Amino acid sequence: MTAARKLINWLGLGLFALLGVAAVVPLFLIIGDIYIKGIDAINRLGGLWHFLTALPPTPFDEKGGIGPMLVGTLYMTALGALLGIAVGFPLGVYIGEMRREKFANVSRAAVNILVEFPTIVVGLFVYAVMSLAKQSLNQYLLDPLSKALSPVGGWITQFIGPLDGFNAYAGAAALAIIMIPYVALITASAYASIEQQLREAAYAIGGREFNALFVVLRKAVSRAVVTAALLGTAKIAGETAPLLFTAFGNTYYAPFTGPTAAVSLWIWYAAQTPYSVQIASAYGAAAVLLTIILIIFIVARIRG
Amino acid sequence: MLGLLLVVLLIPYLIAAYGLLFVKLRWGLRLFGAFIVATIGLLTAMFLVEAYPIIARDGVAVFLRTSWDPARESYGVLQALAGTVLTSAVAMALAMPMALGVAVTINEILPARLRGIFGSLVDLTATMPTVIYGLWGLFVLGPTLQSLINYLPGGMMTSPYTLFTAGVLLAIMITPYAAAVIREGYALVPKPVEEAVYAVGATRFEAALIKLRYVRNYILGGFFLALGRAMGETVAVAMVVGGNYARFTTNIFESGVTISSLIALQFPNAASYQYMVPALFAGALLLTLFGLAINAAAIYIIQKWQI
Repeated sequence: MTAARKLINWLGLGLFALLGVAAVVPLFLIIGDIYIKGIDAINRLGGLWHFLTALPPTPFDEKGGIGPMLVGTLYMTALGALLGIAVGFPLGVYIGEMRREKFANVSRAAVNILVEFPTIVVGLFVYAVMSLAKQSLNQYLLDPLSKALSPVGGWITQFIGPLDGFNAYAGAAALAIIMIPYVALITASAYASIEQQLREAAYAIGGREFNALFVVLRKAVSRAVVTAALLGTAKIAGETAPLLFTAFGNTYYAPFTGPTAAVSLWIWYAAQTPYSVQIASAYGAAAVLLTIILIIFIVARIRG
Repeated sequence: MLGLLLVVLLIPYLIAAYGLLFVKLRWGLRLFGAFIVATIGLLTAMFLVEAYPIIARDGVAVFLRTSWDPARESYGVLQALAGTVLTSAVAMALAMPMALGVAVTINEILPARLRGIFGSLVDLTATMPTVIYGLWGLFVLGPTLQSLINYLPGGMMTSPYTLFTAGVLLAIMITPYAAAVIREGYALVPKPVEEAVYAVGATRFEAALIKLRYVRNYILGGFFLALGRAMGETVAVAMVVGGNYARFTTNIFESGVTISSLIALQFPNAASYQYMVPALFAGALLLTLFGLAINAAAIYIIQKWQI
């Protein structure tokens, strides 16, 4: 090998390595920036516990927190993740196991398109459905329902009642639509990678096809599916664009049937205000959100 | 009434799908498949319906005009379309080399023990909330880029928040998506091909180049997937793009707006105007059509020319 080729080899590999490293350096810069400014902000705004429970600061406050946002994010993420797994998992089984069917390939194409779809479009879709459905939904279904449920106690009105145009359930629905294709694709590839012998054995002992697919073979792929569910949850916990038109955001502890606060929405709103106390609270909220997502991500990686 | 039916029928539909899973598994599974196909169909139909008032009033002119003047009820999304194209172009130009670098670094350069960790870091880059990227772009990246560009001779970036800032931020965000597809292809290069490359005396760099050429359809597929992400990204872009929705510009060092950030920024006061909501939905329709076309192209490329 000539010296020139050796040199080109090292320069070329060095260039690739440099580009590869350049792709992950911003990650450290961002995490460092968020935690340095975020922890400082949380301390200034009244300590961790106060920050996690208090109402957000108005421009004239010294202290404040993200209590309502945290509650809203947890509620909507939990609902969205449950619905996302409930629909995404069978869908993944379908496109992974029934690959010979023509319609399964159509569904697979639809899932592939939806997983890369702009999330803002999903939010607008749910908004459009909600604005069409709200009035008659309230009139025929939710008004009578909330009257029938009133003996249960006042707390039920926090969860069930006539819906506003913006509400936590619309937000959860948007998050679920984002999560479904994500779970479905990973489930599908896990099912597709099951060995044929194992599949035949499962069908041989399982009796009904349902048992073979959902009981026996599920064990073979459960690890991948749990990882998919965790990563999907981490993804929707930080989503902002779909919530802009569905949950809308709020600054108080409010019923989930009306506009609901979310951590990501508060960061989006507060970062763009000119008030330093609100910008500080945005950084604190970002640190909290990042911590939640990092924990879910690391758990998923250790398990997976 | 239509919407009521939609929402109310959804629940029995899902219950029926679950019930059928026990009774007649294949049909139950097909119902789930139909659900996702119907979602995409409904989504497009819904946007057509919502955007109809402005399309009935202006025709296709709404996509060709550059004015955004709510006071006169005159709306056009061409300046936003230009912004989307420009930011995506900047982002793709920066992201594709980085994605190639990630694929080669993981498969050729790093020792086996570090590959998993590096891969996880790249995946984490994709999982991070976009609003956190926006926050960082707003207070760190934007000002840094401004002083950097203005330090160069002839650099004129009057504001930290420009189409260029948005493009750079997008590049960081979409690199992992392109890299994931390229990595997938790179790992599938057959062993005999790799051995043949080394047998004729290629250096590791030359081998990497040959392998990259071997997986060029994956690179193209990754390109389209990342492009789809770049065009649709909303919150992070809206925070750093400058929000200039009134004036048409093709200078990337000026403030601009993209379709998705136009929707995000204008939506809160849209209800006060008669035609603004339909105009925003026309923008969303455009985004949907782009998303469908680009993703379909990416899927076609990856599936058609699989190794």
